[in-house]
Amino acid sequence: MERIGMRTTRNTKGQMRVIETILASFIILAALTFVNTFAVLPSSPKYETSDLEKMGHNILHDLDEQGLLSRFVYDKEWGELTLVLTIFLPPDVYFDLTIYDAHAQNIVINNGFPIRYGSQEVFTASNPTASVSYVMPGHHAEYDPRILVLQLVRG
Amino acid sequence: MMIALMIVSIGAIMYRAGTYYRYEQWEEYITLTEHVKLNTIRLVEISLANYTAPGNNSTSILKDNLNQWQNDLRKAYPGYGIILTYNLTDGTNINYSQGLASHWNENASYSAANANFALNITSVGLEGYRFMATAFLNLTILNVDALSDVITVAVTGEDGMPITDLKKGNFQVDGLDIKNVTSSYHETYILVYTINCDGSIPAPVTVTVWDQRGIIVIAKS
Repeated sequence: MERIGMRTTRNTKGQMRVIETILASFIILAALTFVNTFAVLPSSPKYETSDLEKMGHNILHDLDEQGLLSRFVYDKEWGELTLVLTIFLPPDVYFDLTIYDAHAQNIVINNGFPIRYGSQEVFTASNPTASVSYVMPGHHAEYDPRILVLQLVRG
Repeated sequence: MMIALMIVSIGAIMYRAGTYYRYEQWEEYITLTEHVKLNTIRLVEISLANYTAPGNNSTSILKDNLNQWQNDLRKAYPGYGIILTYNLTDGTNINYSQGLASHWNENASYSAANANFALNITSVGLEGYRFMATAFLNLTILNVDALSDVITVAVTGEDGMPITDLKKGNFQVDGLDIKNVTSSYHETYILVYTINCDGSIPAPVTVTVWDQRGIIVIAKS
């Protein structure tokens, strides 16, 4: 009788372990699923956009720090600016830079001279397009601000 | 069960720690802060160049430019909530007026600008990022050799270090043409410029210099 009683207790304990394991598995799976919905993987558009924005900011800042950006923009050296951006950016990144007069934003300074790598369709068709703004105060002794808008797309 | 709960809890904490900086995009905001700082300093230099340009001597130029710059920054970065406030230096031993000063027609002359800034970027909770913008150009006439028609000058910048990239076109001697300008080592100023003049040097002589930023200084021996 005592042996039968012990067997029953062991069986009940064994069943509880199985239920506990199943519950634990459910908790882990639920947590992993929950985390996965928030995870930003390197291939996701969100990651790509922020990565490209950082890249764009850094390139414009570096060029400005060296005094090159100011020369290209105010001396209207669009060809040189296109070339430098093409060299600085990775080959699979397309760009389109538009320069506006800060006091008349609908006036495009480089109108008719696109500072671009890649066709126009790349920017209109692509969904995750990174856009970076950069403002410059002037040149020599004149306050003459320019707003640079750099669009970037990974090909 | 306890182990499962521990794994989930630690996993959540580690996930939060690993993704915190990615979501905040700190690199982008640091670059933005550096960009505002760089171009604000450049604006102070532009204003000093304007102030020292012939025919211009309005001391309100720096204030006017900074007021416009505040608006243009907001326009260029509409979603960021950029607020740049400034405080123009007045007085001190350089005798600034609205952040600008020029002390010319002396043996050692200078042009200077100074302002303090505080930057807020409300979208990221950045408040009170302070920096100072200084622009300075000093011209000292060290020697005038009337026999060989040579003037030796020292040109220094903000930190007292010599300005090294000046050419013949950056100098002017009143009433005389310049044949050439050479630079050489000097034990006090590190680098000095020798201006070879075409003709006899009058006494006193007035020398003008402008650096690559367009800031002008006029010194008289």
